[in-house]
Amino acid sequence: MDKKIYVTLIVAVFVAFTVVFDTLPRSTYSELEKRELKKFPPFTADSLKNGSFTAEVSSWFSDSEPYRDVFMALSMKVKGLMALTLPGEETVRFHASDAPAAAADTIAEPAGGEMGEYVNNVTADENAKIANAGIIVVGEGKKVRALMAFGGGAKGGGSYARLANAYGRALGSGVTVYCMAIPIASEFYCPDKARSATRPQLPVIRNIYAQLDEGVKAVDAYSALAAHAGEDIYLRTDHHWAPLGAYYAAQAFARTAGVPFRDLKSYDRHVVRRFVGSMYGYSKDISVKEAPEDFVYYTPRGINYTTTYQNYTIDEHYRVTGVSKPARGPFFYHYRDGNGGAYSTFMGSDAKLTVVKTGTANGRRVLIIKDSFGNALPGYLFFSFEEVHVVDFRYFKKNVKAYVRDNHITDVLFACNIFNAYSGAMNRNCMRFLTQDGTITPPPPLPGGPHAADSLKRPASPTAPADSLPRHHAPARQPDSSAVARQAVPKA
Amino acid sequence: MVFSDLFFLFVFLPAFFVCYMVGAGIDRLMRSEGNAAKNMVLVVFSLVFYAWGEPVYVLLMVASVLLNYVVGLLIARRRRGRRAVLVAGVVCNLAVLATFKYLGFLASTLLGLGVAVEVPSIALPIGISFYTFQALSYLVDVYRREEPVQRKFSDLLLYISMFPQLIAGPIVRYGTVARELERRHVSAADFADGAFRFLIGLGKKVIVANQMSEIVDQFLVVGFDSLTTAGAWVGIVAFTFQIYFDFSGYSDMAIGMARCLGFHFKENFDHPYCCSSITDFWRRWHISLGSFFRDYVYIPMGGNRRHQAVNILVVWFLTGLWHGASWNFVTWGLYFGLIVMAEKYTLLRVKDRIPAVVLHVYSLAAVVVGWGIFYFEDFGAMLRFFHAFAGGAVAGYDFVAVSALTDHFWLWVAAVVFSMPVRRGVSALTARMLSGHAVALRGVELTARLTLSLALLVLSVALLVGATNNAFIYTRF
Repeated sequence: MDKKIYVTLIVAVFVAFTVVFDTLPRSTYSELEKRELKKFPPFTADSLKNGSFTAEVSSWFSDSEPYRDVFMALSMKVKGLMALTLPGEETVRFHASDAPAAAADTIAEPAGGEMGEYVNNVTADENAKIANAGIIVVGEGKKVRALMAFGGGAKGGGSYARLANAYGRALGSGVTVYCMAIPIASEFYCPDKARSATRPQLPVIRNIYAQLDEGVKAVDAYSALAAHAGEDIYLRTDHHWAPLGAYYAAQAFARTAGVPFRDLKSYDRHVVRRFVGSMYGYSKDISVKEAPEDFVYYTPRGINYTTTYQNYTIDEHYRVTGVSKPARGPFFYHYRDGNGGAYSTFMGSDAKLTVVKTGTANGRRVLIIKDSFGNALPGYLFFSFEEVHVVDFRYFKKNVKAYVRDNHITDVLFACNIFNAYSGAMNRNCMRFLTQDGTITPPPPLPGGPHAADSLKRPASPTAPADSLPRHHAPARQPDSSAVARQAVPKA
Repeated sequence: MVFSDLFFLFVFLPAFFVCYMVGAGIDRLMRSEGNAAKNMVLVVFSLVFYAWGEPVYVLLMVASVLLNYVVGLLIARRRRGRRAVLVAGVVCNLAVLATFKYLGFLASTLLGLGVAVEVPSIALPIGISFYTFQALSYLVDVYRREEPVQRKFSDLLLYISMFPQLIAGPIVRYGTVARELERRHVSAADFADGAFRFLIGLGKKVIVANQMSEIVDQFLVVGFDSLTTAGAWVGIVAFTFQIYFDFSGYSDMAIGMARCLGFHFKENFDHPYCCSSITDFWRRWHISLGSFFRDYVYIPMGGNRRHQAVNILVVWFLTGLWHGASWNFVTWGLYFGLIVMAEKYTLLRVKDRIPAVVLHVYSLAAVVVGWGIFYFEDFGAMLRFFHAFAGGAVAGYDFVAVSALTDHFWLWVAAVVFSMPVRRGVSALTARMLSGHAVALRGVELTARLTLSLALLVLSVALLVGATNNAFIYTRF
């Protein structure tokens, strides 16, 4: 009798799960992870034979579960409960936003000087733990901050310098090339106890800048950021910096380029409340979700500018398949409170070529070649250049030499985060821009079938640029190949 | 396909059970005692299950079964020359295994010794070590006349390919299921116990093993230049738990599913980490493999009657090699062989005079060191790891190691607790407390089972959604 009750109930629950998973509409996008979910794989005789078809069906099935985010949230909650919380830990102080920028005293002035060592006076004594994918979760409560670990060695990053040098030589003396390597948040906010979980980025940035040709100018975003580490210059719950951090970096760039620059008094402040960024999905740590923040950005006031976009269409492997005609659009997209994709405020996404014509008539025109970190920069440069062109390092099909010549570009700025600088991703893509002829060819089949495609895949989605993340999860101690995701190496 | 896959759980398994029930209905309509329709469903689904991961090598498996079918018939029919047929059959099976599993390894070893050979790249068919061994046990048992020969090809195919045990064991002996292939009965109690067992296994795999694997990756996957001593310990102890919960969870699921179908597999694990010596450990760990080597290698070689030391070393060499075509597995096997041999002449003779806790700590330490050898196929990495493990690291401990302990505290507790025979203890305790209250006892038992089962199911599903690191370790052997 008992056994019959047991069997009946268990079978009933199992059937209920089966009905939910097999009949309800499948999820297509994960808000938590900020990515498109897998689609049903195309069938070919070859993919059946090499086993990739069935493997892809399995991963499609588990990736696109109905109520995926609900289950994910539950699973993160469970993982969160596995930790040991000692009484009193919750009360540890956190003073990121209200502390004076004490660090500023120890920083050498950016202009021309050597970048100084940064001393963390903000979160040095915080508690920390390692979450999924080696992500360092700092502090507790409302001020939790999730940091990506950096795994690069001090001698890396040379390819980024070589890229800038190659552009400097290719574009000739009429064009100035600038190189900006943007540190990620772990450089400034890693507590002392978690030091061993990430590697210092300053040596890498120094190494990059030391290799630049004489005519190529380094933009010291590092010191500019370090001087303001007490302010909200990085998002706590997202892998990007905050627009305020980009402001200080843009200021450093303007100073290096010798162009005018307006301070924040000339900007309107906007807030997207209850923002929880990508780090929740990546760290899979519930405390990140429970610490939403304000996403604050700034729009220039009293200047007329027009923004024109050429949008690239891309396939599921993020390869360009076509390009639209130029069309006007807003530069800033306002997101509603609680929207986790708010970092896409700037230009809306990555897969496009953006041209902003400003009212500033000074003969200076800048081309910014950037990753998603760079998205936050151009909005501060409308007072500085008469035209601001923005190209994403993944999506550009024209010949860059011709583009610079035809548009009378005077300044070219490379701006990307330390991962893309270090891994060579920036170099690999942008060197091609120098020689490609602008035709968009139908993408060739990826070598090795869909499995190989997986390793190329970036998590970027139209609403949330998330370049670099999974490819750079490298736990800190891995010496010199942060570009390789070690997390997914199955022992089996 | 693996068991802890949502596609398996909610597409394959329900479809299978529906078809299986239809098959059972047909069998009843035919008013026969047999299982023809049910068995047909089971074979078809087993082949699909295998082909899902090995769309080409499924033919290899079917061919292997065909070969063994013919060899089995020949052995049964012949009066003379049976032994020669058996030897030929065994050699063929081993040749297939050697080709697909060991040829590349042999070639690269020769290459390492300076012999100019080309290293072939042959992908390892999933589960080939398991099904080859089952086939061997079939041939030998028929030869020894311990079991009657199987005259139906489809039933032999079913024995080899039955999806619950196909790709990662346990290594089911032919004799264990021979009768149930023809005739079996599933009671509600069988089904209930089977389902419960399956869910326990699922939880072991998804809740414990998968989380442990994340900790393992944190310490043991990347370079070791900043691995601390504590980190090395945390990493390898996590692997110790991972491999136990992974593999025994798989066995639980296999045994449970088979029970739901009316098959009674033998146990494959008996709380191995509660062992009091390495000899004891190997009576409790992967029992079906140990008994296979005992019955088909060790005893035929002479067991403890003739050159026992040689026999032991051969068995352990093979045990190591069975786990993988790499020298570290051989080292691992021989490591245990030497310990078992040493224990025979020392520890086991004075065991009763040593406190249990000392024996236990010694055994676990030897097991953990063993997993260190097992984990690293690259000897350079293994040496660097053991250097850190033995205290030669840059630092004794660091934040990452401490964090791995505190942030998964309850996971560690669960892993330790469920390595012990806790269910046995709890039901014995409740039985004693409620003795004389049969109704209450039954109520408590049912509620506890149901709550645990549903919790395991829901949690496992939640953790499987978005799980990235989910392959069973033992499917590669």
